[in-house]
Amino acid sequence: MIGIPHILIAALGVVAGIVFGAIPGMTATMAVAVFLPMTYAYDLNMALYLLLGLYVGGISGGLVPAILINIPGTPSSITTTFDGYPLAKRGEGERALKIGILSSLIGGLISLVCLWLFTPLLSAAALKFSAVEKFLIILFALTVIAALSKGQMLRGIFAGFVGVLTSLAGMFSVNNAYRMVPKMFKAKMQDGFQLLPVLIGLFAIAQIFEEAEEGMRFKIEKVDNEMGQGTSFSLKDFKGQGVNLVRSSLIGTFMGVLPGVGGSAASILAYAQAKNFSKHPELLGTGVAEGLVASEASNNGLTGGALIPLLSLGIPGDSTTAVLISAFMLQGVQVGPLFITQNPETWNTILLALLVSNIAMFICMFYPIKWISKIIYIPRQRMYPIIIMICIVGAYATKNGRIFDVWALLIFGVIGYIFGKIKIPASCYLIGFILGKDLENYFIQAISASNGSLGVFFKRPIGLFIWLLIIVSVAYAIYDDRKSKKKTA
Amino acid sequence: MIQVVYSTQHWIVPRIVMAIIAILLIAIIVTEGTARVKAGGSFFVKPGRFFIEGCDHIKLWGTLVLFIAYIFCLDIIGFTVTSIIFVFLFNVLYAGTEKKSLILSVVLAVVSSVVISVLFGVVFNITLPDGICTMAFPSFGFTIY
Repeated sequence: MIGIPHILIAALGVVAGIVFGAIPGMTATMAVAVFLPMTYAYDLNMALYLLLGLYVGGISGGLVPAILINIPGTPSSITTTFDGYPLAKRGEGERALKIGILSSLIGGLISLVCLWLFTPLLSAAALKFSAVEKFLIILFALTVIAALSKGQMLRGIFAGFVGVLTSLAGMFSVNNAYRMVPKMFKAKMQDGFQLLPVLIGLFAIAQIFEEAEEGMRFKIEKVDNEMGQGTSFSLKDFKGQGVNLVRSSLIGTFMGVLPGVGGSAASILAYAQAKNFSKHPELLGTGVAEGLVASEASNNGLTGGALIPLLSLGIPGDSTTAVLISAFMLQGVQVGPLFITQNPETWNTILLALLVSNIAMFICMFYPIKWISKIIYIPRQRMYPIIIMICIVGAYATKNGRIFDVWALLIFGVIGYIFGKIKIPASCYLIGFILGKDLENYFIQAISASNGSLGVFFKRPIGLFIWLLIIVSVAYAIYDDRKSKKKTA
Repeated sequence: MIQVVYSTQHWIVPRIVMAIIAILLIAIIVTEGTARVKAGGSFFVKPGRFFIEGCDHIKLWGTLVLFIAYIFCLDIIGFTVTSIIFVFLFNVLYAGTEKKSLILSVVLAVVSSVVISVLFGVVFNITLPDGICTMAFPSFGFTIY
């Protein structure tokens, strides 16, 4: 189940992920999306080691520029800048990086334990779901996205449903009839738009358009003097941080479970809690280990958390795990309630691969950190042309070589760019797109079985419980929306 | 009650979703409009500027044009040669035309295109777009797209 090639490919994934994470503007999602075509050539096990390595590396790499140049490498390392950068300015950059890396490792491991414990439980519960509950769970996923869109609730739900509508274009599998497809594209759009071009379009190509608009002018000042001097790292930095570590990791894991929430919300919440519970809240933000630990433990906590709903319900926790869904599909594995019982080996592989990736991340970052920190000087304008090329390869190979999918890649790149302009959250759109077809199938199944009566959605206790969750999440969204609007007003 | 009729059931969910989208759109316009009225503005506002201040139109539209041209040429010329040309052009677009930069652009374009082409097309045996510059080596069992 695990051999030297597996460990090597995980390490390769981790290093590539760190590079993507450490270059500001490039994200873990992009790393996984760009490398996905490579997995076409591997079996599922190898593919999982590579992808999970990329995922862990990509999330972790973000701390390097956050600490050294005050620019978060990935959205989830925003709060790392609060305490990391002041430390680096005092010449304690290396210490700050090492605190961040060790916190990341612990966060990753705690979330791994949660993944191991909770996925089977959630799967077992989900096994009792009929089409009604499955439909409601997806509806719940769509409202949770919105609840966490921070003052953008309506736009979040709107984006989710537009995503659902986009996914429905093509042939309906029950009666083989087409809808929302121009006649000339009938042959090509039998099963609608493919996930991969949509995803890399929205998250990689759109990003390149945005940066092209800004002129691709990046000049990063050298910061060599901020690495070496000052206090060096020792395990004493973690004294008294045990509770903070565990709490932040668990916050990260829990936020990861909620679909579409993403790392920045998790680390902001963990940071706020660290401040609430701190004995010296006034010191946070001036360069203390406490804030750094909270931020990094929580964003790596995300990795295990986001896999829980993916593997037990088939609902991705964030945009990066959404890419993993397409990797599973490519290998012919269906994720969902039956996943663990039907694929016990794959399940073990995932746990092991995540463990190996976390350890590889630590080894690849902690010791050679002086070298790793140079990554932030790689000029993005030289990387983007190559990324465009790889994205084209990935899109083209999605269905064994169709130029149609490459056009879709470009179109969704433009759509993603426009979404950014009119403040439509692309991650909500993507979750809607991924879940849309299932939403339709379960809905049709449920009402067919009840002869068209909508009452079927309110009959079983589990269903009513999910309705309760939906109502709570919408109510919370409205409350939170008002609060954040008042703040800005 | 929703009657599920076999021949038209493929329109049930899309229609519901379209209705929901329309309702949400109205809700967004109304809530954001009334918020503006409350803040002392008018219900409708002129849309703000679409492009950012100091937008680099050459790089933005250049990216789009090059991308479209790239896709058009893929099927005609073949993956490797097209990629060398366009990775070079993207590099020139993003990094400029100084002599030193141009040399780096050429090196990057050739090396990255050939590496990707061999890695995916030969090592991983993934189908890449083929065209007039595609070379097949049947006796060796591989193709350079």
